Amino acid sequence: MQLIMRKLEKHIHMRKMNKILILITVIGITSCSPKISSNFTNPQSKLSINEKVALLDIEHILPKNIVKVGELRFQDSGFTTDCSFNSLMNQARNEARINGANIVKVIDKKKPNLWSTCYRLKIELYKYTGDVSSLPQYKLKLD
Amino acid sequence: MKIIIKTIQLSLIVLLSSCATIISGSRQTVGITSEPSSAKVYINEIEIGKTPIEKKLKRNQEYQLIVKLDGYKSYETKLVKKFNAWYIGNVLIGGTIGLIIDPITGAMFKLKPEEIDGNLKSRTTLKTKSGNIYVNISMEIDPTWNKVGQLEKSE
Repeated sequence: MQLIMRKLEKHIHMRKMNKILILITVIGITSCSPKISSNFTNPQSKLSINEKVALLDIEHILPKNIVKVGELRFQDSGFTTDCSFNSLMNQARNEARINGANIVKVIDKKKPNLWSTCYRLKIELYKYTGDVSSLPQYKLKLD
Repeated sequence: MKIIIKTIQLSLIVLLSSCATIISGSRQTVGITSEPSSAKVYINEIEIGKTPIEKKLKRNQEYQLIVKLDGYKSYETKLVKKFNAWYIGNVLIGGTIGLIIDPITGAMFKLKPEEIDGNLKSRTTLKTKSGNIYVNISMEIDPTWNKVGQLEKSE
């Protein structure tokens, strides 16, 4: 009787372990991207890949005659691994093109620290009618 | 005897506790060749050189690949992250540490060119060797370009 009870307990324990492992695997697979919140107040027509988008960091100044398209916010979801500054700026540029913006301006930047290994950014997107490649801007790098 | 078996089991768990990171590493080599060669290669709109070229890329990111050559249409695709089967090693052996470490290092992913309906983009061939990928692109002539002549080597 005791032997059966022990076997049953072991079986239940194994099933619990399997469930935990599957849960961790699912979390691992699905939760590696940063949390992106967006608010597009004035979306424009989509830009093609050949149209340049300027990436302006905190220190870069916005030009005049621009129209605000929307805002983006990148946060750490807790399991985020793809959250370097270059990766986030590249994702912001893609979002900008989809919504017709050609300027990505960082307005708040939190660097990785003790509490998070991720960059956390607040970004504003603008449409500029001038030549964006003439603006002083951040040059994207490959990590 | 029991101690030896337990030691071996423990060693295996420790060694294989981050299966994908140990086997695959956090970066993957991506080789790009084109026909004709000497085409400019851009990853995330950054010019990295001319074909043939190899680049080690982080596995936990997705990349946009563009190849350009005068007289030919621009080639564009995405390098997307797919599940790396070595990650299952953690589940099979019970390496809980690996389940956490592999996603952090990005080793639980492998990069592959984007597929549409299970097929690669036309004019693209893919080879996989030792976990690395080699993409060959056959460039398509741009009909808007007219050949007006050809330079020849002087004798």
